[in-house]
Amino acid sequence: MKSEPGQRLDPRAKLLWRVTGALQAAPILAGGAFGSYALSARADVAFYLAVLPVLGALALAILFVFVLPPLLWRRWRYEIRPLEVDLQRGLVRVTRTLVPMARVQHVDTRRGPLQRRLGLSTVVFYTAAGPNEIPQLAQKTAAEVRDRIAELTRTADEL
Amino acid sequence: MNSSAAVETAERRLHPVGMLLAALGTVRRWFGLAAFPGVAALVNGEFGMRALLLILLGVALVAVFSAIWGVLSWRATTYRVSGGAFHFKQGVLQKSERSLPLERVQSVDAVQGVVQRVFGVVGVRVEAAGGGGEPEISLSALSRAAAGALREELTRSARQASAEAPEEPVVLRKLFVRDLLLAGLTSGQIGVAASVVFGASRAVEDLLPGDLAGRIAEALITDSVSPALLLALAVALLSWVLAILGTVLAHAGFTLSRSADGKYLHIRRGLLERHESTVPLARIQAIKVVEGVLRQPFGLAALRVESAGFGAEEGVSTTLFPLLPRKEVEKLLRAAVPEFDAPLDHLEPPPGRARRRYAFRSALPVLVLAALYAVLFFPWGTIGLLLALPAALYGILRYRAAGYGLDEDRLVLRFRRLARTTVVAPRGRLQSRGYSVSPFQRRVGLATLKVEVASGSGGAAFRLTDADAEVAKGLIEALSERAARTAAREHST
Repeated sequence: MKSEPGQRLDPRAKLLWRVTGALQAAPILAGGAFGSYALSARADVAFYLAVLPVLGALALAILFVFVLPPLLWRRWRYEIRPLEVDLQRGLVRVTRTLVPMARVQHVDTRRGPLQRRLGLSTVVFYTAAGPNEIPQLAQKTAAEVRDRIAELTRTADEL
Repeated sequence: MNSSAAVETAERRLHPVGMLLAALGTVRRWFGLAAFPGVAALVNGEFGMRALLLILLGVALVAVFSAIWGVLSWRATTYRVSGGAFHFKQGVLQKSERSLPLERVQSVDAVQGVVQRVFGVVGVRVEAAGGGGEPEISLSALSRAAAGALREELTRSARQASAEAPEEPVVLRKLFVRDLLLAGLTSGQIGVAASVVFGASRAVEDLLPGDLAGRIAEALITDSVSPALLLALAVALLSWVLAILGTVLAHAGFTLSRSADGKYLHIRRGLLERHESTVPLARIQAIKVVEGVLRQPFGLAALRVESAGFGAEEGVSTTLFPLLPRKEVEKLLRAAVPEFDAPLDHLEPPPGRARRRYAFRSALPVLVLAALYAVLFFPWGTIGLLLALPAALYGILRYRAAGYGLDEDRLVLRFRRLARTTVVAPRGRLQSRGYSVSPFQRRVGLATLKVEVASGSGGAAFRLTDADAEVAKGLIEALSERAARTAAREHST
């Protein structure tokens, strides 16, 4: 078995994850700001304690927007081989999954509003045990991957 | 399949008990609505002739309406077999007709509810193959003879396709009464039953007027015994009895048999409600040997199957046999599901360095909670930390249960989640396989193996925690399509 699958996601994936990360960070930042505001209004709380919530929220936001997306992108790999699909993902816990072509029932591409804006697309293929995803591929690549899996699924069934 | 002389039958009706069943169904659906005016009057505080009359009127209306509806819907319901398909018509106002090609008939099961048992009739459920969306066809009441004839007509084409004369299925194993009681005694459902009993006792306390409950308790309990202890004991005993009763009701007369052509397993069980179900061997994805906490010390186990895509309710995970000696499991597997007959013992354990991680893994959540407790209630709270010891011990037990084996292309995994469970899944049934590595595992060269099989409408995943990383990779490689083909090629030359 190869040490790692060969293909990476589209580099624009990082941008997309930064945007979704920012959307997740927004309510956290708002909460942190509110917490700090509430604390600073009280006379008996020292200043350095009052700024803690907003600093914590800021740290999380930086993590979500700047730190995690490139790490996630570097880890995500896939490879479509004649007999199976090979996936690797995961930030802290690295997961490797192999799905035999003969088990794949059907395959779709899917695009959310944000993905459409960036020209990205997600390939979803289903086995009897549930869906598997290859997210954030360039639209053209996604279509190719989808057709390739569909084609290989057919030949795998014939064998 | 078409070589058979096509079966043609005239339109037939259900057994007249069908009228009663349809009427009962209607009563159940409309009762709430009919009682509504009367209940509304009651709530408004007018308890008297008016309210009573309203209720009676509602009930009478529902009864008459249901009776008429029952007759009408019985008259409207017909079935026949013709042109290689099963046709089923029903509906009084909105007529519907469904046709099911015979080759798509997947199983014909008999179901007996209480009403059906009283009148000596059976309900028949016809399930279609493929496409999870299609609902089954269910005939509420047929005489035994008619049900037998229908089953014969619906499955004839399938049986003729396999060019075999219809033969009686071979009984593989029956559950003896002694084993049935044992199954009840050792079933892990005591906890569930206990909560039910406890809830019920609280409800009774609330319902009894004034301090009657207290006085009854005082009368029953002598001063020398702590009432709380006695109550706990009573709850435990009662729940145990309930657990036994539940198992007995569900599994009495459990019979596992195999059709003569070897393609189907038939399961019959149940005391009040008789269940008959058919499991096509081709749909079985994995076999589980479950040794419950109370069962393992006595060398007992239950057999379960994970099967895919037949019927929303039945497909998920079914009991193949509720209780048998662990030593006889392999023999039964060989007879019932030869594809899954793999050696279940002498599995390869995870490496010794995984032992510490198992202990740590199960002690960690307890430690975190106990530490919090210790800080909050300082001097005495620290005693809670002692709880980490049994938790770690449980981790060691989990380590000792864990193991894997590869028999030709059958993967065997064993793990403990309270019950020790051994899973057998052939390579051809694995929907995906993989492993994951956490930073802690990477440092010591371990990985968690995970395989998925189809089960019901979704999937079931089985894991082997903390296997040697190289071993996990090797297993995944050995279970690949390519490895299988190379092996086949070498075998043929």
